[in-house]
Amino acid sequence: MVDDPDVHSGADGRHFETCAECQARYKTVSEDARAITSLMTAPDLKVDVASAFNRVRLAPAARPRFGFRLPVLRPGSRPLVLAFAAAVAAVALLATAIAQDKNTFSPNTVTPVPVTLADMQSLSQLSAYGTVSWTEQPQLQIVSSAAEAKSISGLQVPTVASLPTGISTTVTYAAMPQAAAVFTFSQAKAAATAAQTGKALPALPAGMDGAQLTVTVGPAVAEIYGNFNKPSSADITQVSLPQLIVAESSAPVATSTQVTVKQLEDYILAQPGLSPELTAAIKAIGDPSTTLPIPVPVQFATSSSVPIQGVQGVALGDNTGVGAGVIWVKNGVVYGVVGTVKQIDAIDIANHLT
Amino acid sequence: MATVRPDDKSFEALFTAEYGRVTGIANRVLADPHEAEDVAQEVFIDFHRLHSASAQYAPAWLHRAAAHAALNRLRGARRRQRREVAQAAEESDQTVDPQKMLEMSEDRRHVRQALARLAPKPAAVLVLRSSGLSYAEVAQALGVGIGQVGTLLRRAEAALRKEVTRGTSF
Repeated sequence: MVDDPDVHSGADGRHFETCAECQARYKTVSEDARAITSLMTAPDLKVDVASAFNRVRLAPAARPRFGFRLPVLRPGSRPLVLAFAAAVAAVALLATAIAQDKNTFSPNTVTPVPVTLADMQSLSQLSAYGTVSWTEQPQLQIVSSAAEAKSISGLQVPTVASLPTGISTTVTYAAMPQAAAVFTFSQAKAAATAAQTGKALPALPAGMDGAQLTVTVGPAVAEIYGNFNKPSSADITQVSLPQLIVAESSAPVATSTQVTVKQLEDYILAQPGLSPELTAAIKAIGDPSTTLPIPVPVQFATSSSVPIQGVQGVALGDNTGVGAGVIWVKNGVVYGVVGTVKQIDAIDIANHLT
Repeated sequence: MATVRPDDKSFEALFTAEYGRVTGIANRVLADPHEAEDVAQEVFIDFHRLHSASAQYAPAWLHRAAAHAALNRLRGARRRQRREVAQAAEESDQTVDPQKMLEMSEDRRHVRQALARLAPKPAAVLVLRSSGLSYAEVAQALGVGIGQVGTLLRRAEAALRKEVTRGTSF
């Protein structure tokens, strides 16, 4: 006995038509099925088949050897991508907020700012004040040659002079064209979030409703040394990280409309939970409109200022000594070297990058 | 550079015909349209790498893969938590009744937790059937006889009900 009308045909169907017992059992089973279906209701689904097909069509050619994608960068992972965008917007806001006369953030140098977990939580609240939308979606692609990476990003792939001992010479490339996101402040969104969470957030300053912050990132290209393993799922925690990544990206640019510097500064500093250290570090930045703050999680990493290729860069190290990195900006391009290497090796690679 | 394969036309036709349904199966499991689309796209990518789009078994393969891939995701507790947080935030955009949305979200969470505890086959049969597949399609997807589907479904429904009750009786 089943609840599918399709199978009520032939001899079974004729029997069903005349058998009260079967009809009663059919009714019971159908009701059970409806109850289960009701339990398993799901949110409405609206799919854009053409867009989805384009993403899928490009994927096999672009990622033939791995079969997995980094979740944070998957175009389909909208919540994660939006969270990433919100984080980018928050960093840009930090810089824009304290720019005294400018509403454009275009960094040509870097500086570390100490960030605690509490700071991150406080800053993540900023996303509750508006919505993020991509005007140009980030489209990260993994390719097997520097030429392909260059054709995607338009950037010359940096060349490492010599690798430290123990670093695999197996290299793959990641490339991304320019991406742009717009953060739109919304009084209604803030109110809805407050209603949902039951927590009142600092009031959005008058006149900020509808203001837009546009953040442009990339294009970017990276060389990835070492082997990825293929995880059984797309869980990023199951991906074995590469040994060394050398990355290059056009510096992010942020512009804001309809928002005064004073409003933004008050608004950010009003976020509950921001540490005095972070606030002080931001205020200490000389020219915030041209300085890219590099958040350094104080519990997990250390940072120092180092000269790299004639400019000041930030050297990072984790507290365990397992990993290190260097970030610097030169001629409007942000460079990074990070991996499971000693800090002195990361600095050496950075200084000899061509 | 992407290469054009002779199979691409067939694949596009298959994709157009089945994408909605494959995503629907994943959404039925995950109760998250965005993550469901991720799963659906991964399923199509895997299929395209390994199979011919003109294969007769293509829809059945996709349906089964969607159910299993989504169920695998559901079983990851950490992913589940992340999804619920994201979903709650998203639903806050769409409603004016937070209490109602909270209750709906709780119900969905209980049912999905129960579903994650079921054995793979009962879970898959429930998901496929509740996604609107006919008995014949469910049978094809799971590689069982059509005569077995009714029995499998009844047992699966009983198992799910038991798990839902168990999950809410603490």
